[in-house]
Amino acid sequence: MAGGAPPVAAPAGGRAVAPGERAVGWLASTDHKRTAAKVGVASIGFFGLSGLLALLMRAELAQPGLQLVSDNTYNELFSMHGSGMIFLFLTPAALGLGLYLVPLQVGAAEVAAPRLALGGFWLYLCGGLAMYSGFLTDSGAGKDTWTATIPLSNSTHSPGVGMDLWVIGVGLATLGTLLIALTILLTIVRLRAPGMTMLRLPVFSWTMLATTFMVLASFPVLIVAMGLLLAERHLGGVFTGATGSIAYQHLFWFYGHPVVYVMFFPFVGAVAEVVATFSRKRFFGYRALVLSLLVFTSLSMAVWGHHMFVTGAVQNQYFSLTSHLLAVPAGIEYLDLIATMIGGAILLRTPMLFALGFICQFLIGGLTGIIVASPPLDYHVNGSFFIVAHFHYTLFAGSFFGLLAGVHYWFPKATGAMLREGLGKLSFWLLAIGANLTFFPMFFLGFDGMARRVPDYAPRLGDLNLLASIGAGVIALGVLVFFANVWVSLRRRVPAGDDPWGAQTLEWATSSPPPRHNFTALPPVGSYAPLLDRREEAGASAPEGAVA
Amino acid sequence: MKSSRHDFSGLFSLYLWIGVGVALLVFAAVAFALIRYRAREGRTPSKRSEANALELGAAVLITAIVGFLVFRTFSTEAKEDDESPQAVRIDVTAFQWGWRFTYPGQGVSVIGNSNRQPTFAVPGDRPVSFALTSADVIHAFWIPEERFKRSAIPGRVNRFDLEFETPGHEEGLCSEYCGLRHSAMRFDVWVLSEESYERWLAARRR
Repeated sequence: MAGGAPPVAAPAGGRAVAPGERAVGWLASTDHKRTAAKVGVASIGFFGLSGLLALLMRAELAQPGLQLVSDNTYNELFSMHGSGMIFLFLTPAALGLGLYLVPLQVGAAEVAAPRLALGGFWLYLCGGLAMYSGFLTDSGAGKDTWTATIPLSNSTHSPGVGMDLWVIGVGLATLGTLLIALTILLTIVRLRAPGMTMLRLPVFSWTMLATTFMVLASFPVLIVAMGLLLAERHLGGVFTGATGSIAYQHLFWFYGHPVVYVMFFPFVGAVAEVVATFSRKRFFGYRALVLSLLVFTSLSMAVWGHHMFVTGAVQNQYFSLTSHLLAVPAGIEYLDLIATMIGGAILLRTPMLFALGFICQFLIGGLTGIIVASPPLDYHVNGSFFIVAHFHYTLFAGSFFGLLAGVHYWFPKATGAMLREGLGKLSFWLLAIGANLTFFPMFFLGFDGMARRVPDYAPRLGDLNLLASIGAGVIALGVLVFFANVWVSLRRRVPAGDDPWGAQTLEWATSSPPPRHNFTALPPVGSYAPLLDRREEAGASAPEGAVA
Repeated sequence: MKSSRHDFSGLFSLYLWIGVGVALLVFAAVAFALIRYRAREGRTPSKRSEANALELGAAVLITAIVGFLVFRTFSTEAKEDDESPQAVRIDVTAFQWGWRFTYPGQGVSVIGNSNRQPTFAVPGDRPVSFALTSADVIHAFWIPEERFKRSAIPGRVNRFDLEFETPGHEEGLCSEYCGLRHSAMRFDVWVLSEESYERWLAARRR
């Protein structure tokens, strides 16, 4: 920008480009693929940090009693782990995936409002750095959990600049992801290729569209809540008395429940694309899926009160009813995923393994979600490790596996290089074994009376905790193998070609990686699987030989 | 509001077994698809991509199951909502990081904190009516044995009834994160026979 350098890296044959110049060009680029890559790199960084905090927690919890960290440090660990993973990893990663893929899937040359998307990235990055910079202050990082409940988070009970940085950081990061979501929505509404009607939008793009609806409806409420919390901390008088503390919870959970589907839908979409491609069939029940996504989205705005069953301050029956009803659209999604496989010709490549991991493991999170939708059952398990197990089955064993299904699937498109199959499968099995070893025992721990957010517990709970801590080590190993796979695959490249999987959607109709303006020519779009249409018209079934 | 371990267990088993059934069904379907429809020589994938009757049928079936679960949840809650007139009254105040248990009209109060956890007694053959509040931040009063918890919110009183059936000690703890010593904010419930309970009260009366 400043030096007048072209934002796109100069061609290799031209004048020598200084590394600094190239870096500035990359950072300042408004290409949606590069902005998405920046979001991806930042979110992986925050994933690594927040994951390290979790490993420290599991190390402390391996035995009853305090061994490694103080109460105070432990409180920082889980607060920053939870808020880091939600605000700085899964939410931005989900939207980053959409920012990369939606313009390609709808056949657009660019994202709508590319500078807004870039601005969103910088806000998110600054927000994340603000949250983590709390560790450098005297008062330490935010330690009021990821919800920062009032009155605990006011200046009397949580004084210090670390908590202020947390509040500001959460607000900024959420504003940043909101802007990115807005550009994705605009892209779908305004920039679809000729012939791509709304009912020819690929499944992943539909899940992103539903995601952006939830983001636009709920994220502003959190941003306002963080603004009010900051005012409460410095001026006071905002959230006073019992009414104030309940009001804060309403604001927070009005954001806090839709956001769990923001961290779920895009990965359902990724898994749906993977399942269709590796079953060699088009996605089954497309229109039913679209309808169920919209029903799910609407319901998601009316379930937040189930986080407040034990407060005695909400209409439990209403929120219980709406929360139970989520099982209907979720069930249709499952039916469609499985029906896509039935009758197919399934190839068990790494992306498909992660997709199957998502399907089987998210299910456990979803079904235990029905249990906690029942107030009399929630009165026992709320605030316990049962809940920790439940949402880690959805967010880690579910969404994270869905993310990795997408990463393994689209990595060749974004980099032009294939990931190694053997390392991919190894990382899958390590992660699957680790996830179940870590999180399944937590159902029993919570049921037996272990509260969440504690560094110490009754000695009788020691064995299962040790098992969970061993599992966390296995997860760490799986993550390392994944990073090693990325490293090896980028260093010693196996070229991917345009369409290594025999896939179905437009992003595979261009080069890998795609050029600056994505497409030189677009195939005709007559359905949500235009490349499959083209192959079927050419009379050839899916070319098995296309898979390396 | 009254809770009993018995009501919880019945409802929990229902949800658990339906959940286990659904999970097994899905796992079986995935396994079937993987075995029967693996890619091999000469397999052409089906071109069928829609079956609206199937989708509708599934939606109706799931709605019916969910409707049944909601009905059972609501009827369990209604039972829990019964008030009992001859209950023992105990006022509970949570604070950072301890508990105070007061027996109104008895002149008895027990207090304890994270260094010395309090023990309070309840009779095993009468319901106990709790009035729960907090002196500072939000806490939660959880007795895992009773399968029940409630938030303790400053400026607000939450009321509920519990029936303790088995004599002996039950552990209680705070289950809402409340600051530095949250994990050490515990209490002990001592379930006694009516006579022992009266003796316990008398010994603490001033």
